[in-house]
Amino acid sequence: MKKIFEAVVIGAGHAGVEAAAALTKLGKRTLLTTLSAEAVAFMACNPNIGGTAKGHLVKEIDALGGVMGEVADAATIQVRMLNRGGGEAVHSLRAQVDKNLYHRLMKRRMESTEGLSVSETEVTDILFDGNRVKGVVTANGDEIEAKAVVIATGVYLDARIITGDYERKTGPAGFMRSEQLSGNLVKRGLDIRRFKTGTPMRVLSRSIDYDKMELQPGEEGLPAFGMLTDFTPDNDCPCYLTYTNAETHRIILENLERAPLYNGSISGIGPRYCPSIETKVVRFKDKERHQIFVEPEGKDTYEMYIQGLSTSLPFDIQEQMLHTVRGLEHAEITRYGYAIEYDCLNPKCLNAALRIKGFEGLYSAGQINGSSGYEEAAAQGLIAGINAARYLDGKEPVVLPRHSSYIGVLIDDLVTKGTEEPYRMMTSRAEYRLHLRQDNADIRLTELGYEIGLAGEERYRRLLKKKGEIADLKKLFSELRYRTLELTALGIELSESTKTSFSVAELIKMGTKTENIRKLIPDVGNYMAEAVTSAVIDVKYAGYLEKERRRVEEEARLNDYKIPADIDYDDVDGLRTEAREKLKDIRPMTLGQASRISGVNSADITVLLIYLKKKKR
Amino acid sequence: MSDVIAAIATASGEGAVAIVKISGSGADKVASQLFFRENFEFSAAEPNKLYLGTVRAGRVEDKAFAVIFRAPKSYTGEDVVELQLHGGRVVAEAVLEAAVSFGARPAEPGEFTKRAYLNGKMSLSEAEGVEAIILADSEAEAVAAYRALGGELDRTIRLAGDILVEAAAMTDVALDYPEEMADEEKPQILGSLNEVKGILNSLIGTERDRKLVTDGISVVLSGLVNAGKSSLMNAICGAERAIVTEYAGTTRDVLRERLEINGIKVTLSDTAGIREGAEGAEKIGIARAEEAYKGADLVLFVMDGTEPEGEEEIALYRKISVKPNIRVLNKSDESKYPREADIIVSAVTGENLSALREMIAEKAGLKKGINPPLIRERGLHAAITALKAVEEAITALGRETPDCVAVDIKEALERLYSITGEDAKESVVEEIFARFCVGK
Repeated sequence: MKKIFEAVVIGAGHAGVEAAAALTKLGKRTLLTTLSAEAVAFMACNPNIGGTAKGHLVKEIDALGGVMGEVADAATIQVRMLNRGGGEAVHSLRAQVDKNLYHRLMKRRMESTEGLSVSETEVTDILFDGNRVKGVVTANGDEIEAKAVVIATGVYLDARIITGDYERKTGPAGFMRSEQLSGNLVKRGLDIRRFKTGTPMRVLSRSIDYDKMELQPGEEGLPAFGMLTDFTPDNDCPCYLTYTNAETHRIILENLERAPLYNGSISGIGPRYCPSIETKVVRFKDKERHQIFVEPEGKDTYEMYIQGLSTSLPFDIQEQMLHTVRGLEHAEITRYGYAIEYDCLNPKCLNAALRIKGFEGLYSAGQINGSSGYEEAAAQGLIAGINAARYLDGKEPVVLPRHSSYIGVLIDDLVTKGTEEPYRMMTSRAEYRLHLRQDNADIRLTELGYEIGLAGEERYRRLLKKKGEIADLKKLFSELRYRTLELTALGIELSESTKTSFSVAELIKMGTKTENIRKLIPDVGNYMAEAVTSAVIDVKYAGYLEKERRRVEEEARLNDYKIPADIDYDDVDGLRTEAREKLKDIRPMTLGQASRISGVNSADITVLLIYLKKKKR
Repeated sequence: MSDVIAAIATASGEGAVAIVKISGSGADKVASQLFFRENFEFSAAEPNKLYLGTVRAGRVEDKAFAVIFRAPKSYTGEDVVELQLHGGRVVAEAVLEAAVSFGARPAEPGEFTKRAYLNGKMSLSEAEGVEAIILADSEAEAVAAYRALGGELDRTIRLAGDILVEAAAMTDVALDYPEEMADEEKPQILGSLNEVKGILNSLIGTERDRKLVTDGISVVLSGLVNAGKSSLMNAICGAERAIVTEYAGTTRDVLRERLEINGIKVTLSDTAGIREGAEGAEKIGIARAEEAYKGADLVLFVMDGTEPEGEEEIALYRKISVKPNIRVLNKSDESKYPREADIIVSAVTGENLSALREMIAEKAGLKKGINPPLIRERGLHAAITALKAVEEAITALGRETPDCVAVDIKEALERLYSITGEDAKESVVEEIFARFCVGK
């Protein structure tokens, strides 16, 4: 049986659904394949979306016209703003999400999208015409014709889950794995590696003694992820905080020879920043306790997620260590923690458009690219989807520069530097952190999203409105003055009260909190909340933003200088051998990207520049 | 678009002419604060034409030629101003420093040429021709810089860098893992920043030492008329340099003599003595003397042991005591009026003269075997910028904006590592994992 589509997306996880949604919105008839229809947008690990740097990613996905933000808002059961103490640039929205609801809403969204077919099937190989994609083959022998393919297989390629000496060849949560595709990718010459990640146990709620834990309620009055979200997301399910202790650590250390991570039965490389509890205890011997957050998996279940206890220790040890934790003494485990090993691509084989180099029409996104996390996956899925659609239209790919977005940083890091472990987004990876904020994600990206054809009229209209309001507010801030007495009456304390009156801009620069500034704005309710936030930050951080802007400009010249895809580095005289090898390996798209490759120095860049100028003539 | 860069374009060492080159949009603005000529403005100046005028840079003033090349008709393709000065490093360095203080940045090795390429100024055959030179140049620069950093300076920068990396990692980890990192890091970060501030301050101080080493120091003899300054100068130099007579007020101009103490150049200046009611040439001499001691690194305050201590002497000492100084009681061979002094010498018998030389060496910090670190103007500028960034980080920490603290620390790191050529960012990320326990 032969089916014809314009694009196929392999895998309906967080990357796959974004890619499929983008492709269809850009007018491409798309097939989204999944090993199980129950696994569409399945949250295999933690029940949250957002968090530090990840909240930024979700806002950016939404600003470009992606789907994650809106669906997350609809499935939210608690929200918090992380990093309140860190300064406004790093405030990060994090939502506890009802996992089942998220899956169901996303699945329905895919099912209801015109031009998108969702099919439960296993893709086993990709078909080529020369180096051009022409379709895929499925396990039941179907050939599906498509000129663009996005691989978004997550952790399912040759996956293996391990708990102690028990192991099973399956994907996460018992879903079947993909067995043939990985081998066929190797046959095409792709660099396949083995990574590892893990998940903690889930526990039955009524077996938990919450009185012994710290309550972590949600916060009121927070913005949603979605620009177009017109309701207040639910916020009625608390989380709880407790800690490991010396006894927990003793049990873990005494049983290390039974830990797959330490007895050699797991060889995959795990994430350093999302380590298992056994890794944390071994690596940080001095730390007396580690935090454990107890979080609801959803409203339709009594299962609780034990964040912080990711482990692949044997079942009996998991019980023992869990029961040493305050409040979890009698906890009943419903699912044990496990480690999962899987095949993934070396992301250096991708270009910055997420196209696999050496092939036309072949893209990949998500954990197969060596990343970790739902948000990182979704961000790549969106960009891969956009670029697959643009390829079909014969348009230039969209590449987000590092100073535009966390998405840009994420992809540039992956394809330029590669990664030796599952890559997680962190604010410290961004060099222009003060520019890349949640509150201005739309200002940074929505215009581009609109031009691409994804963001839509309503987002664009809201962007213009917000921009106008920010400009008005900034003008207002410098004009509007308050007398010291008036400020004191409003409960605004002044550190330096030598002056008798202050402009709002002065108050902002003196560090007056945004909630107090809001009190000073006439009819503040008429402004979009985020317009106020952005305007305040723009004034407060003006000096620092200017510093960053200058650095962006310095780099822009190199970033704008494109390197032709067919450049022959052997033809470039004067390159050092190391630089030549690295450049041949990465094949950067711009001089800026070339300059970020480790092992390529400024002299090499100069040589390259001269060569390119000579070629142009 | 591009910032203004400046550098001394001529070879170092003594020569007839030294050229300071300033390039970038705004080069004329920088130069207009350095070069003066009647009814002259750079904005209206004819390009490619030499103008004679005066450069003023700090204390230095000199006749000079200025020429402006307008973009794109210049070497770099940008606005370029060249100032042609008298040779030697003193004037050129002062002018470069002043240019930097007016907003120019010391140029990186090969940067003028790099700009020429970037601006499409250089023809390709030329480019190919000089490509080898440029590369050799930056390689040589890299090697030279590295050698310079091989010693104490390198270790100092590394130490400061390591502390900053740790502070940056602490800030970053607190920002990336807010739920796991408590406020307890803040005092630690502050402590680290203060430590680096101390290190950089002493590094920049060391840079000043280096200038003393290369340019030497200036020691000025001061005191009342006929206190025996000239005899003392002659005695120290071991030559009949100054005119010595029995009459008060003989020295009417500033006399200079170069000598070496512990291998370091010392310019000894004999000045006219100060006395009320001086006239004519002597009055001018006194005015110059006052100027001279203002620019001195060390003042030898010479007192006449055969005369009683008067009001005038006390008042004069009060004036000069803002400077590092040594009170020298001269004429110990016939000293009748002992008073408070740091050393008693006799220019006539030579008594205690070698002790005085040692005291000069000690006071001016001229230790034996000073090894000048090879930090260049660029390195100094980097260190100063880094210090400024660290100070801003301390302020930002106090204002509870850790996201800004991180920007400042990273800027400081980048500046420091621009001296050693390391990549700061990678090391920060590495540090996060190495030092902290972070969870999901």
